[in-house]
Amino acid sequence: MRSIVIGILVVTAVCGQSARDPGPAVGSRVPDFTAVDQDGRPRSLHSLMGPRGLMLVFFRSTDW
Amino acid sequence: MELQQNLEKIRKRGLGVAAISYDSVGVLSTFAQRKGISYPLLSDEDSKVIRAYALLNESVPPGSPQFGIPYPGTFILDALGTVVSKYFESDFRQRYTASDILVRQYGERPGSTSQTVETKHLKLVSSASQTNVRWGQRIALTVDIDLKGGMHVYAPGVDGYIPIDWKIKSAPAFTPHEVTYPASQQLYLKPIHETVPVYKGRFRLVQEITLGTDEEIKPMLSKDGSLAIEGALRYQACDDRVCYLMQTVPLKWALHYDELDRQRVPPRMQRKAPSPDGDTK
Repeated sequence: MRSIVIGILVVTAVCGQSARDPGPAVGSRVPDFTAVDQDGRPRSLHSLMGPRGLMLVFFRSTDW
Repeated sequence: MELQQNLEKIRKRGLGVAAISYDSVGVLSTFAQRKGISYPLLSDEDSKVIRAYALLNESVPPGSPQFGIPYPGTFILDALGTVVSKYFESDFRQRYTASDILVRQYGERPGSTSQTVETKHLKLVSSASQTNVRWGQRIALTVDIDLKGGMHVYAPGVDGYIPIDWKIKSAPAFTPHEVTYPASQQLYLKPIHETVPVYKGRFRLVQEITLGTDEEIKPMLSKDGSLAIEGALRYQACDDRVCYLMQTVPLKWALHYDELDRQRVPPRMQRKAPSPDGDTK
């Protein structure tokens, strides 16, 4: 019983941490990538940049 | 999509815009045509980018069709790819809107004005970052205040005076966050040899709210589908001669509630659960 309780606490702590702030931290450099857009064109991170940077949105899905 | 409506404002700030998900190119292309999306929607079908960014939502079981979804959120990157700011909610059903980020981070003019009020001491305009909202969105409400000549109001933290205070009436349909007050000025009151924190001229207060679930919002809607948010601004204004009585200005916002878009692509295009041998095709 006790180990289950500790297990739950550990899981909560670990999830809690990633939940608050997942992904690359402020001030760090994000990984480069190439992905295909809706028109089938490969797009690199660099090609998506505006002169001052990029608003990059990660979302669940357009179909659910 | 809310992002499409803000495209011009975002690009004016010198930023590119892109959104990434595990959808196939076919699904994204269908969506882009149906919704008139002109910015890049990127296909990360095997969640390679999502994993590289350490955003894979591991609470989804690997056998489920939804396995591979990210923790949803937004990064603002500089031109070298360094994270300037990031917007991720701890509850994954909730997300920041681009309109909210524009108001919060860039001081952008809010998309929708709710009311204009003039009192003896000030003029104020209450606005929201957007006119239309969906469940789970984090949006910004703003109050722009323009104090009349010679007037000041007291800033939060003042001792012995009534500071300006903005409260939203709580409701099950949304959760209010802390009000963001701008930096105050120090005013020296000669007759009493005191220095006090005040606001003068024009300044803006911002308060974000996170909308609740569909079930929480629906009962609160009016017949025309709008969600009313009520609040009040309390202040005491003074000029160099006299302090006036404390005032309370009732404030109101009306946001249009959009139902979630439940239209799906044809079944043959929908995402399948991976087969047990790990082949996702």
